[in-house]
Amino acid sequence: MNRWYKRLGLLSQLSLADLWHDRKVTLCMAASLVAVIAPLLLLFGLKHGVVSQLQEELLSDPRNIEIKMLSSGHYDSQWMDSLRLQPQVAFAIGQTRSLNTQADLLGERGRFADNVEIIPTQANDPLLKSSLSALQGDQVILSARAAERLGASAGDSVRLRVARRMDDINERGERTLQVRAVLEPTRFARPAAFVSPELLLELEYYRDGYQIAGLGSVTGKPMDGVKVGYARARIYARDIDSVEPLERWLNAQRIETSSRLAEIDSVKAINHVLGLIFGVIAGAALIGCIASLVGAFLANIDRKRRNLAVLRLLGFSSSAVASYVVLQALLLSAVGYLGGLGSYFAGSLLFDHLLGSSQATGTFICHITFWHGLVALLLTFLVAALVALIGALRAIRIQPAESLREL
Amino acid sequence: MLDIKGLLVERGHGPQSHKVRLETLQLQQGEIYAITGESGCGKSTLLEAIGLLLAPQSLARYQLGPEALDVARLLAQDQHPALAAVRSRQLGFVLQNGGLLPFLNVRDNIRLPRRLLGLSSRSDAVDMAIDALRLGPLLDKLPQALSIGERQRVACVRAIAHEPRLLLADEPTAALDPHNARRLFELLLKLVSELGLSALVVSHDWALIDDFGLPRLGAVSGEGETRFEPLV
Repeated sequence: MNRWYKRLGLLSQLSLADLWHDRKVTLCMAASLVAVIAPLLLLFGLKHGVVSQLQEELLSDPRNIEIKMLSSGHYDSQWMDSLRLQPQVAFAIGQTRSLNTQADLLGERGRFADNVEIIPTQANDPLLKSSLSALQGDQVILSARAAERLGASAGDSVRLRVARRMDDINERGERTLQVRAVLEPTRFARPAAFVSPELLLELEYYRDGYQIAGLGSVTGKPMDGVKVGYARARIYARDIDSVEPLERWLNAQRIETSSRLAEIDSVKAINHVLGLIFGVIAGAALIGCIASLVGAFLANIDRKRRNLAVLRLLGFSSSAVASYVVLQALLLSAVGYLGGLGSYFAGSLLFDHLLGSSQATGTFICHITFWHGLVALLLTFLVAALVALIGALRAIRIQPAESLREL
Repeated sequence: MLDIKGLLVERGHGPQSHKVRLETLQLQQGEIYAITGESGCGKSTLLEAIGLLLAPQSLARYQLGPEALDVARLLAQDQHPALAAVRSRQLGFVLQNGGLLPFLNVRDNIRLPRRLLGLSSRSDAVDMAIDALRLGPLLDKLPQALSIGERQRVACVRAIAHEPRLLLADEPTAALDPHNARRLFELLLKLVSELGLSALVVSHDWALIDDFGLPRLGAVSGEGETRFEPLV
């Protein structure tokens, strides 16, 4: 007897020939699929494009995942360690009292910048987002404004100067630092110098009247038994979803904080609302699509009943005739999907061209990923299979004897 | 070649039911019988039963082919796949309106039974039939481009394409004018004798049957029952 794959080949050939011969009806049915798939893809593309752009904007600015501690306290290194161990924490570094986070910087040829913010940094600092942020004690990264004032660039040396008054005598501590890098202007707007946490602590101890060799001081109290302590911390959450629990963890310890949770929540709300709108529209469209396809498909099978009966008479089994119907449904849905995808690309190009360029916010508006396309394809096949199943149930009952009787 | 005894088929249920009975029928190779009778007497029912499309109520013997394949046993044991195989392999049908698939051209319509059975696409019988019925120029046309007469000729060739034992034709000339009907009958007879088939042809056209001198299987109507008997 005939091999199954040969039969399947013959069956596919016949169903293709049938669809092609009946191409007006085929086109109508494929078009009804395109009419559903294309707008749904466009709508989803818009939703996904808008939301992912908002999320990207949130993520691109590290201030959005920063949690600021509003008041100063006293935190030892043990507490800092426990903070870093929180699963929501991406980066945390201790800061000194705010008065001591300023110093003067002196560059070449007498240029100087006074009251520059001195900010501690370490490896993986999201604020700097640079592999150079793991600094040694005599290294510094300058913000664009600070570098501009000092006329310094990477590789140059600058001098850090800090003043104190001891026993009615004004003293100045100094240390020469090597500029490792200069930040882009968008990274940090104010004049600032990023240094290692040890150096920042030394500045504080110096101002507190200790004898700090690194800053060239020979006067002051010796550094015996001084315990490391921080006034606050610079904290970044792992992602936008971690901001809220992390803030709650801090608030539970009576630490007042501020964050951009409101902005994050509004993006989440937009995502939720758009998702809901899309879901309802997609649901309505799918139901309509299935109903119209089932109708068209069943009518089509009734129209071709005689042909199917002849196929049965010639020796096709009832399951072969059913698979003939299913094959046609799958072919139709593949054509409909490709048409829908094509329309989507045309539509999204139009959107991007008309809307994307006029907006300062971003480069794209309408966007789907490969996986979204794949999910859409599977959904299309699912709908087609559902429709085909109903058709196949009808086709399976067609008897070869019907070909003999006039209908 | 074809040997049937004690065939009884029933259509419908209860008081509306109609019985069709065939006591005996024997057909040799190259022999052709016409089935005649009034409309609604059960000619098609008989053809469906012999064509294994309708299960009979009782059947004493049904043997097919030189190897005397016992179809009656298959029917009694309700072996659907085997019966379907016999139907598609050993039987050929000519339908009233041709029953050609509209989406295949004439050549592919004729080839379909052979491809379905996994037979080679070359067949001397088919080539001969195409020549005899002068279908050569029509091979690449779709059925819709053909006249009814041409379609019926194609249907005849398709029915014998897989070289069946028994050809069953259901009023093949019903839609044809007398001239074309006569030609089709001639060609049918020629095919049957040259290919050594047996054939049963349901027909209303008594004059035509008499002209060709075909033996008849006539309907004898009774109360709720029709008996088909060879008329001499």
